[in-house]
Amino acid sequence: MQLKVENLSKNYRGNVQALRSVQISLRPGILGLLGPNGAGKSTLMRILATVTRPSSGRVLWNDSDIAQNPDALRNTLGYLPQDFGVYPNLSAIEFLEYLAAVKGISADASKKRIGELLELVNLADAAKRPLGGYSGGMRQRVGIAQALLNDPQLLIVDEPTAGLDPEERVRFRNLLSELSGERIVILSTHIVSDVEAVATSIAILAHGQLLAHDSPEGLLAGVAGKVWEVVIPSDQLQSLRQKYLVSSTAHRSDGVHARVVADSVPGYSARPLEPSLEDAYLAALSAQRANQKAGAAA
Amino acid sequence: MKIAPSIYALARADFLERVRRYSFLLTILFAGFLGYGAATGRIALHLGDYRGVYTSAWIGALVALVTTCFVSLVGFYIVKNAVDRDRQTGVGQILAATPLSKVSYTLGKFLSNFAVLAVMVLVLAIAAVAMQFFAAEDPQLDTVALLLPFLLVTLPAMALTAAVAVLFETLPILNGGVGNVVWFFAWAVIGIGLPELSGKHWLDPMGLMTVADSMMAGARANIPGYKDSFSLTIADEPSKIVETFRWHGVPWTSQAVLLRLGWTAVAVLIVILAAAFFDRFDSARWFVPSLRRAKKIPSTQLTELANGASALPAKPAAAIHLTPLPADAHRNAFFRIFAAELRLALKGFRWWWYAVAAGLLIAQLASPLEISRGPLLATAWIWAILVWSAMGSRESRFSTRSLVSSCANILPRQLPACFLAGVAVAILTGAGAGFRLLLAGNSPGLFAWLAGALFLPSFALALGVWSGTGKPYEALLTAIWYVGPMNHTPGLDFTGAANGAFVIHYALVYTAISTALLAFAFFMRSRQLRSN
Repeated sequence: MQLKVENLSKNYRGNVQALRSVQISLRPGILGLLGPNGAGKSTLMRILATVTRPSSGRVLWNDSDIAQNPDALRNTLGYLPQDFGVYPNLSAIEFLEYLAAVKGISADASKKRIGELLELVNLADAAKRPLGGYSGGMRQRVGIAQALLNDPQLLIVDEPTAGLDPEERVRFRNLLSELSGERIVILSTHIVSDVEAVATSIAILAHGQLLAHDSPEGLLAGVAGKVWEVVIPSDQLQSLRQKYLVSSTAHRSDGVHARVVADSVPGYSARPLEPSLEDAYLAALSAQRANQKAGAAA
Repeated sequence: MKIAPSIYALARADFLERVRRYSFLLTILFAGFLGYGAATGRIALHLGDYRGVYTSAWIGALVALVTTCFVSLVGFYIVKNAVDRDRQTGVGQILAATPLSKVSYTLGKFLSNFAVLAVMVLVLAIAAVAMQFFAAEDPQLDTVALLLPFLLVTLPAMALTAAVAVLFETLPILNGGVGNVVWFFAWAVIGIGLPELSGKHWLDPMGLMTVADSMMAGARANIPGYKDSFSLTIADEPSKIVETFRWHGVPWTSQAVLLRLGWTAVAVLIVILAAAFFDRFDSARWFVPSLRRAKKIPSTQLTELANGASALPAKPAAAIHLTPLPADAHRNAFFRIFAAELRLALKGFRWWWYAVAAGLLIAQLASPLEISRGPLLATAWIWAILVWSAMGSRESRFSTRSLVSSCANILPRQLPACFLAGVAVAILTGAGAGFRLLLAGNSPGLFAWLAGALFLPSFALALGVWSGTGKPYEALLTAIWYVGPMNHTPGLDFTGAANGAFVIHYALVYTAISTALLAFAFFMRSRQLRSN
């Protein structure tokens, strides 16, 4: 089982380049796709889900081009879009039965599956109510259930935890971990803690470009020895931000405790810290911005 | 908070959002098409075999009447989406949290509706000027005489149309397809029929009678043989005219002007009334009453549902387990999609909708054949209009397209299933007449009945896929239904009852049209799937 993305680009009308020559190869496991708003994450997800066609490049699912033969992937694809709707007059069971039929799942198999999925997303007791009366979080859980209907080998989930309460987020992360064994899961989010908890590999996307694709350990190794804590008076915070990448701050009685990502020891009384994925993510974005500035200046 | 700037800002934003959509170009094209029809004599005003000389007064009145009639009917469907757009885009939630009052909101939407309709009127007014030059019967351009009918007849009618569109959008029962059907009858009865039947000028919201009476008085004064006839017609070829006479326009007395301004004031009152019904985007007001099992849900749970909480204790995360699907779970069972589409099509109607459909079915079985296959079948099929109007546009309307389009082999399975579900509804609702035709051995009638059952969903699917909304179908089918089956116009009667000796001929035509419409729907959907 392999998903290969080769030189993938997508241009929208008005000369907007959403993706630029993205290359990535995936095997079973969970890929956490991180990036700021407008990075191209949803465009990439939509192309991988066969909903959008690329402008150039190709995506190979088990060596088959999904633009040429989308059904080879669709039969085994689970997709939770970032924005999706439901039919308000149908109940959760009826909506899932409808999508199961559209996905070509037999009646017997889908009946059992829907029951399990509704238990799984904690909607069993609300399953017969019209979806029009569901809250945003409940609809999101219906979306998660529909993505798992056909026991997908490739599961693509775009901002899946948006609108979920903390308890449901933990349930969903655990579910992803359990599902990831023999399938490829792509989880797009800008919540680093979601990725940190479950991802076996992480890709960082910004301005349509793939900045990094590595294991969490690999990304952390990239910023090892570059994360520091400095304690400064609050009036110096602004100048610190101008000089260094500050990933977080906390006000304490002895001053502001700032977490700084820098190649060398910042010019304050700094102590080294264990790097986090958020540090690695922000460092990658910062390096890309610096490259862009240098490119523009040249 | 200053009210006037808020209303202006709301109206301006809504207007700009509309005019920057491609669909607005279609709106302008429609206005241009009407202007062309009037200029070439295909849409014409006749007083029997007579008409006025093409002076500024006559052309102004002619084009203003054409505009009033057609733009008020079609324009309603064009502008009846201002509140819905805010609901769909979520902008309404933001507005609801501002100090903007409900009256300010409905007034803003009314002004935006009115501005869109006024642009169409402007296009037609320009066409009227061009028409006088092309007709070249009177070289004298009198701009006041030409434009006054637009100002005093058309614009108040547009204000009423804009206001009623806002009112319909704020009334839960009329904000959807029912309202689209109701508008056609309201327009026909109150706008056109009522002034004619009552003969009272103050009961003439469109102002048509004011102009018509003045023209007829002009004809009586100039043509001895004239017999009080007046008609606005659409024809393939310009009609032959025996004689023309010079008409100097409506004598706009202060009473006549006040009457027209009075209707503009009525429009504003309708908008204020709409504010009383407006729910201010409170979704609880919309959803809670429609919950089929609302009575069984404890109020505490409903409150939690509305607040976004699950209301149910979460299962521990460790209990998560999914049984893998068996190897033979994937089957291309077309019947299951068809059944799912049929259920989707029939969901959401109240019990009384089914009761009326069943009553009409029984009546078809119990009535004489001609009544059964005529008015009863026509009524049974218009009763199901909202089932079909959702076809093809449901995925856009409810944002489920990305879910559906990522499923395998979707085009050749889902669209035919949806179409056949529509055919099944037509056959079920019209089964009484079909059965009667079968028993009577009326094969041509049965063929026409079947052609009608194919036409209704294919027409819906084509328009739904093309437009992404059910409105064009609701408006067009209601109009065809009124002219065809209800007024026995051969060719336009899709039930076949009024097609007489040509019943097979027309049935073949309807079958061919249905095939073409289906092909168009497939083409459009496949383009949509490719162009994402």
